[in-house]
Amino acid sequence: MAIAPFQPEGYERPNGRVGIRNHMLVLPSVVCATRVARDIAAATDALAITHQHGCLHVGDDLRHARDSLEGVGLNPNIGAVLLVGLGCETIAGESLAQAISSRRVNVDYVGIQRAGGTTAAIARGREIVEARLAELHREASGIFEPGRLLVGLDRSDDELVEPLVREMELRGAAVAVVDGARGGAAHLRLAALGAQLIVSLCGGHEAPLGFAGCPVVAVARDRETYTMLRDDFDLGAYGLPVGEQAALVADRVGDVCRGRLTASERRGSVDFVLDRLSVTM
Amino acid sequence: MLTGYPRDNGKWGVRNHVLVLPARAAANRAAELVAQYLPAVVAVAHEWENLPGDPDAGVITRTLAGFGANPNVGAVLLITVDSRDEQLAHELSARGQRVSVVAMSEHGGTVSTAEAARAVASELVMAAAASREPMPISALVVGLECGGSDGWSGITANPALGIASDRLVAEGASTILGEVPELVGAERFLAARAVTPEIGQEIVELINAFEHAVKGLGIDIRGAQPTPGNIAGGLTTIEEKSLGAARKAGTAAISGTLEYAGSPRGTGLYIMDTPGHDIEQMVGFVAGGCQLVAFTTGRGTPTGSPIAPCVKISTNSAVFGNMPGDIDIDAGGIAIGTETLTSVGESIYNALIAAASGVLTCSEVHGHREFAVRRVQ
Repeated sequence: MAIAPFQPEGYERPNGRVGIRNHMLVLPSVVCATRVARDIAAATDALAITHQHGCLHVGDDLRHARDSLEGVGLNPNIGAVLLVGLGCETIAGESLAQAISSRRVNVDYVGIQRAGGTTAAIARGREIVEARLAELHREASGIFEPGRLLVGLDRSDDELVEPLVREMELRGAAVAVVDGARGGAAHLRLAALGAQLIVSLCGGHEAPLGFAGCPVVAVARDRETYTMLRDDFDLGAYGLPVGEQAALVADRVGDVCRGRLTASERRGSVDFVLDRLSVTM
Repeated sequence: MLTGYPRDNGKWGVRNHVLVLPARAAANRAAELVAQYLPAVVAVAHEWENLPGDPDAGVITRTLAGFGANPNVGAVLLITVDSRDEQLAHELSARGQRVSVVAMSEHGGTVSTAEAARAVASELVMAAAASREPMPISALVVGLECGGSDGWSGITANPALGIASDRLVAEGASTILGEVPELVGAERFLAARAVTPEIGQEIVELINAFEHAVKGLGIDIRGAQPTPGNIAGGLTTIEEKSLGAARKAGTAAISGTLEYAGSPRGTGLYIMDTPGHDIEQMVGFVAGGCQLVAFTTGRGTPTGSPIAPCVKISTNSAVFGNMPGDIDIDAGGIAIGTETLTSVGESIYNALIAAASGVLTCSEVHGHREFAVRRVQ
């Protein structure tokens, strides 16, 4: 019997990409702007990322941090971005907004110093987010071809990886497998690469993480791990032949790219973990 | 009059928070859900995953434990994933902190963990209830910080803070200077103030070690220090920034150096090994026992600590006027002659005592609770 291809449903972006979600993201360029970003998002339907970075990076670490933040804003599940900066940070919010905008993603920018402090920046940010969200809510979704779906796998050292990649490809999707990063850092790489969906393989008592804007299908790789945190996993994959496990995971991926919420989306986990390449100055 | 909360371990808090602390990043959401409906508790989130073999496990555990054991915290609710996270509970108990643990593995996931933890948090709020009492000034530890410096920092706010710091130290309190990258160039001047030649040598070594590490990376720090904001504010070199930054510590003798998140053993002025990053630095100070932070700013920054009041001092009146409600004291009058270093120094001292005794600072009013843990590897 031929395997049915994925039928992902989502949103066409001006830059030719497609998202399976249509989020407004409030992205702080620096830790100092996280409170304002969160308060803006809390008052609206937007998602905010909280992170600890953006200032006093150097060298490769600066490039990596900047590229990661930019990549998160460019993820096709994000319909619009509000960049919130402070105004004196190393990774300047305004130039990050310009970089994202140059890739034809809708971006606005609020700088806390220029806006006139916390209260004024939150008020300005809310106005912008409400207007952008109204635009996003008017957008209609459609079915797109499975070849435009990029599924991310967060590890390479699991026996399920090879059958899973094969299964995804049989159903028409492209797959990216992270090598050399683990956990949250792997998710960040995949989201920045443009994956619309992440499959996270967790064994040995690993607890699953979520990601802002990018659904994470959390797969427990052993019974003990699954039992321990059953509510936070989407499914357990163990005890069966790996081919059957891969098919189960792929079935769930098919549902999630047609709108089914993952466990991480239901509980509202928007974890952000950046792996640092050198110390902060 | 200085008031605070006496703790069983002999320390004094100036706030009485119940802190919900996730042991690793996977517990952040549960901690956040606990605090969402309980205004009497405060949660932090961090990015540490406690992955096996993390070379920073030691410094991060020390930082999280020190932060939770800060005397401004009356009790800690630690959210763990499983028994691998118990080390942190032991460290908190060893520091004399009241700690309750809720393990996600026993509740089947984030949402049910948060439900169970909410009941525990409510019990902790009652158990930690306390009243303010007159507090000896010798129990007060104040962090000295600057962020978003400009050309005025070394002329107005920093030397005025130095006057306040000198007075606190003279009265028996402790202050801590950090920001080692911003002390580069000031090492001889600081070493000459050490209480012993050995401590002077430690100060020189601390600053040299940073310069050495930077050279080892084969990079030029000039893109990061001074920051683009510092340069726009009129600072030209790291040496100029440093000599201004060091003035926050006044002229008192230097009693010792501290590792990141380390606690002073005595009283007086100390130097802590922190980065210039405002939040990594503030967390290091608070984890080392600072109950209060004095923070000068030239460009204007709204940040604060989840558990410690942070008195913000602007170096110029323009930024004070431009960010209403974010900055507690304006030192800009020194530049135009309406104030003196001495008068602003006294205002800062008074504001620190008032904040310690319960007056909310701007960052507390806005709920600024930024948190970042330094990595060293």
